[in-house]
Amino acid sequence: MPDDSEWSEEISEIVDRFQSCFDDMERLELLFEYAEKHPSNLPMEMWNDENMVHGCQSRAHVVCSLNGEGGFMAEGGADAQIVQGLMAITAIAVNGQPPEKVAEHDPSYIEGMGLSRILTPSRANGFMNMVSKVKKEASSLM
Amino acid sequence: MALDVEEIRSHFPILQRILPNGKPLVYFDNAATSQKPLVVIDAMSDFYKQYHANAHRANHTLADESTAALEGARDRISKFFGTSENQMIYTGSATEAMNLVAYGWARYNLEEGDVVVTTEMEHHANIVPWQELSKEKGIELRYVPIDVENFTLDYDAMEVAIQGASLVCVGHVSNVLGVRNEIERVIEMAHSVGARVALDSAQGAPHEKIRFDELGADFCSIAAHKMAGPTGIGCLLVKSDALDEMGPFLTGGSIVKRVSKEDTLFQDGYAMFETGTPRMAEAIGWHAAVDWLEDNIDFKEAHDYVHKISSWMASQMRNIPGITVFGNPEKEESIGVVSFLHDTIQAQDLGYLLDAGGFAVRTGHHCAQPLMEAMGVGSTNRASVWFYNTMEEAEAFVAHLGNIVERFS
Repeated sequence: MPDDSEWSEEISEIVDRFQSCFDDMERLELLFEYAEKHPSNLPMEMWNDENMVHGCQSRAHVVCSLNGEGGFMAEGGADAQIVQGLMAITAIAVNGQPPEKVAEHDPSYIEGMGLSRILTPSRANGFMNMVSKVKKEASSLM
Repeated sequence: MALDVEEIRSHFPILQRILPNGKPLVYFDNAATSQKPLVVIDAMSDFYKQYHANAHRANHTLADESTAALEGARDRISKFFGTSENQMIYTGSATEAMNLVAYGWARYNLEEGDVVVTTEMEHHANIVPWQELSKEKGIELRYVPIDVENFTLDYDAMEVAIQGASLVCVGHVSNVLGVRNEIERVIEMAHSVGARVALDSAQGAPHEKIRFDELGADFCSIAAHKMAGPTGIGCLLVKSDALDEMGPFLTGGSIVKRVSKEDTLFQDGYAMFETGTPRMAEAIGWHAAVDWLEDNIDFKEAHDYVHKISSWMASQMRNIPGITVFGNPEKEESIGVVSFLHDTIQAQDLGYLLDAGGFAVRTGHHCAQPLMEAMGVGSTNRASVWFYNTMEEAEAFVAHLGNIVERFS
């Protein structure tokens, strides 16, 4: 079982929702739902080579910054809904957190959600590359 | 010989697999690689357990047995492809075989300004070697376009492109569209202008019995793993007069008569091209595969069976809202491939959603980016059928795809 001690209440609720899914199709349907409500969506016109996440079969982009209170903010956009959904949940997990904490971010909730099987490196969906990029940018914003 | 699909399936252990999500595997990724019958797995395992030793140049029993198996496989496989062992070179893959044409024949025989013709429909294996050689030697590279309305090669454009050409390189069957090109016509056209023909049969050989000597192509590349054999081995079939014009490609041990500090005298014929430790286990596995195919599969019957499934799938998929099918899988000569896209569900998402139902299909550009560009898309989903698939699997696939479209678009 993944370590859930660092999960926020919101992330714990998300994990619970995924755990109550009947099968992979339902889990993916739920992921599509989160893709629709990305809390900090990066509009397509802002996608460029500089903010591209490498290693994705699809196009994915992340822009990281600090908000007025010094909290971390990850804006993301992808053309594949599955990637966009994962970015949305990651944004829920890291947005507003101090960059020091984001730099140490552990996306253990993916395992809790029952999605780690479909996120193997060979699927080349770039999720871990996206997390690495977020953590690296958080370090540079500290 | 009637095609008994249930019996055939019983030879392939992997087809009984239940995936981690509890779904039975439906394997529609055959154009990427085929599954292996148990006899192939056993033959390779037996080699490692009983008589594994490096072939050639040794006087012990195991080396004798290993050498006999390696060369016996060459004899058997070359006959299966309608030629003789002195016209077959083992390679690591069909891609390596096409590189062997580029670097073992074209580099020695073509000069600046000479023309090589390929097509927009090709796998990268039949494009990139020519681009690289073009940079090295100043060879002119011409592309025959596809007729995007009919998803065929533009043969009128080919008539023009081959004028003055030294080599015409064409795919037997498109890995993206399943289109079976008019290779007999291409060979005739090319030979009429004095050009040699290199045929990429990586996708053709699993569906059609290659009879190399009758076909008349000068070179033909084949991959074992796409036709029930193991990965890591393929071959280049070469007409003997073209073989006489070839020079070494990869160099090192095994391919030499004598090496001094100043120079090397190379072996003759196919032996000039198989450097390093031979692919013994792979050749033995491939031998078992062609034996199995010969004993169990009538290629014409298998083609008709595969075509029945893939053409039915294509016709049903065209009725699913938002699905576009590329190519003409319904055409009699098309071979087992259905490439498709949905207009709102992104290809990668669709690949995941199909996998969630247990269906293995391929997603991406299929190493054919110039073709993707000609079709105006970046990628497709591709379902590819072989003789061990069933109509029930096809029905389940179409139903699952319909369900995905209903729930996710």
